[in-house]
Amino acid sequence: MFRWKRAAAVVAVLALGLTGCSAGGSTDDSASSDKLTLGVLAPATTFEAQAINFANESPYGQAVYDTLLKANPEGEIEENLATKWEYNEDNTVLTLTLRDDVTFTDDTKFDAEAAAQNLLRFRDGTSPNKSLLAAVADAKAVDATTVEITLSQSDPALLIALTQNAGMVQSPASFENKDIKTNPVGSGPYILDTGKTVVGTSYEFEKNPDYWNPDTVHYDALSLKVYADPTSLLNAIKGGQVNAANTPSNNDLGEMEAAGYTVNAFELNWTGLILFDRGGTIEPALGDVRVRQAINYAFDTKALLEAVGQGLGTPTTQIFPTNSVGYDKELDSYYSYDPEKAKDLLAEAGYADGLTLNMPSSALLGNTVFTLIGQQLKDVGITVNFTDAGNNFIQDILAPKYGSTYMILQQDPDWALINFSIAPTATFNPTKYQDPKVDALIETVHNGSKDESDAAVKELNTYIVEQAWFAPWYRMQSSFVTDAKTDVKTQVGNAYPYLWNFTPKS
Amino acid sequence: MFGFILRRLLSGVVLLFVISTLAYMLLYVGGGNIARRILGQQATAETVAQKTTELGLDRPLLVQYIDWLSHAVTGDFGTSWFTGEMVSSGITSRLGVTLSIVIGATVITAIVAVIIGVWAAVRGGWVDKVVQGVSILGFAIPGFLIALGLVTLFALNLKWFKPTGYVPLTESATGWLATVTLPIIALAIGGIAGVAQQVRGSVVDALQRDYVRTLRSRGLSFNRVVFKHVLRNAGGPALAVLAVQFVGLLGGAVIVERIFAIPGLGQVAVTATSQGDIPMVMGLVVAIAAMVVIINLLIDLLQGWLNPKVRLA
Repeated sequence: MFRWKRAAAVVAVLALGLTGCSAGGSTDDSASSDKLTLGVLAPATTFEAQAINFANESPYGQAVYDTLLKANPEGEIEENLATKWEYNEDNTVLTLTLRDDVTFTDDTKFDAEAAAQNLLRFRDGTSPNKSLLAAVADAKAVDATTVEITLSQSDPALLIALTQNAGMVQSPASFENKDIKTNPVGSGPYILDTGKTVVGTSYEFEKNPDYWNPDTVHYDALSLKVYADPTSLLNAIKGGQVNAANTPSNNDLGEMEAAGYTVNAFELNWTGLILFDRGGTIEPALGDVRVRQAINYAFDTKALLEAVGQGLGTPTTQIFPTNSVGYDKELDSYYSYDPEKAKDLLAEAGYADGLTLNMPSSALLGNTVFTLIGQQLKDVGITVNFTDAGNNFIQDILAPKYGSTYMILQQDPDWALINFSIAPTATFNPTKYQDPKVDALIETVHNGSKDESDAAVKELNTYIVEQAWFAPWYRMQSSFVTDAKTDVKTQVGNAYPYLWNFTPKS
Repeated sequence: MFGFILRRLLSGVVLLFVISTLAYMLLYVGGGNIARRILGQQATAETVAQKTTELGLDRPLLVQYIDWLSHAVTGDFGTSWFTGEMVSSGITSRLGVTLSIVIGATVITAIVAVIIGVWAAVRGGWVDKVVQGVSILGFAIPGFLIALGLVTLFALNLKWFKPTGYVPLTESATGWLATVTLPIIALAIGGIAGVAQQVRGSVVDALQRDYVRTLRSRGLSFNRVVFKHVLRNAGGPALAVLAVQFVGLLGGAVIVERIFAIPGLGQVAVTATSQGDIPMVMGLVVAIAAMVVIINLLIDLLQGWLNPKVRLA
């Protein structure tokens, strides 16, 4: 009996010691003012600059690499590794003047040769964004601080691309390193501590002591913690374990605010239907503009915003973002909910008795939304046959196997958006549909003067709304939460605020 | 004994081969377009095709499998397609994390289950009824609910523990305890419920045997009979259940690690499987299957040590 008592006493002492220590927060992952701890939704696919990802993975690359140019929170381009940039007359040669005081963390000196090699490697690499440099025909060092980029045709989005992963510069001496995917060598503000990092879960960075631009580094250390599960992210926020995090949805914002976090809202994506098959090759009915317009009139976008988007967002019928020169506020309500008008248009198009469309569905995008699409279209006489595409959703719609689909797409800057969703070669124009008027407007956007280009973007936006190339419902609110110690400015056009947009709250 | 161990190890190697082959085929069939999944919706079809070639996914299935197998037998499991991490180092770095939770939960399960199982069997009456009722409850409540309840109460409300994260034992003993305690309890509760029932049943059965009456009639105390003789005889079935529980706990760790954001094998298993990260999943399949083979062998040896009747020649 005595032994039992002694054992119980030992357990009690251990338990007291444990709770006493843990209550004091002795574990090393608590957020502090000299360390910025960020919650991220995805691990770094790779740190190799030629294959690196952006968007939700942007903080990984920005921590360890410098970009040739830099974008402020409003998306305006500023100097970085390049201090000057200049195009030739027909915008096919871009000359960058580079800094001469930058050294990589392996002590290799940054120069024009390093910049040129990185540009060509990214163009030829396997980054999901490699098309950003598709127009680059060549890049060569003119001298140690001058790099000349020759384009096969002008590219209005090139300067923006150089502020993103396409402009990241890795030490050329590390190109062949076997561990480069998990052990980056750059010149950026932080150095990855591979000893403390658990790949896929938490990435620990220390400040680069020799960084050339220390004024932009606001923290001594950086920690990027991956929360694959929304519940664990919510618990980490409620437990004060992160200074800031992007949220996978808006479901838990109330609880996050109750935990003392501030919701920084921004509109990055639009959601609704893409009516790919404007030529009617897969679904002949979609070749008739009246059918596409009828689909637009069939959706009660305000109700859908409430039902699907929890009321967080702005109804719209255009895909260009509010910061675009092509944005027109009136196009946010071009197609107001009008099922009778939808039925009339279908009748005019010869579908008075209704029609059937095939669309893909996937649990990846939620199940409710597909039920609602089916209901709303059924109300005007359109029957939708959904096929569960599962994990092959994107593959199937880009094949293309369907004439239309529900989708959430990012509102990129104008030229990127045109080349992603509208142009005949666009990824999200899988039927390669071409319209002479659209082609002419794109040509003006591409090669016109600034004023001509801006006017063409506006006209293009209006035209594709009138022609109902899409059936957008609303711009979704994305939410980034910050604790009481952290300030952040959200970044135009990116899912994650840029690293230098984080500052300790004074 | 040596022959037995050798035979079991050889059958384990055959089992590993069969399991890995089946797993590879299943992953291949259900993989979909992995290159598209790696690159996301922004990538062009040309980039996706380039990535497919880079990963060797455009080769026939048999060629891919033989390529994987020929490297795997040399210990080279490749690198993760989604994080660039070496599979072998990714598994070894996480193995300790998962084992510390699963072994901790197994030890707690064994101790608590024996105590309450024996208590219920010996005392009977209301104690037995309560233990049986609580066991059924512990067995019925899903592990993730227990985990969420523990986080809410002990981490978020009482703030005794960290709600998420993991501190290695080498870094801080108290930090380690603070991060593994709740996951261990969450995992152990279901296990205790199952093993305690088995211990109770075995002890009740053993108490009715003739040798117990004989030992008692020779003047041995009841406690001595129970702890020195009855428990030893009742230990066999309980150990078998514990072995099954251990394997089950490896599965349970998947959910618990995800809820507590612990960098263990479970978390990486869920992520890698849902992504179609074939090199990482295959490495995990081999590692976990090998663990199960070794644990079953150890349990067999332990059974023999506990009970001479089942000792193996």
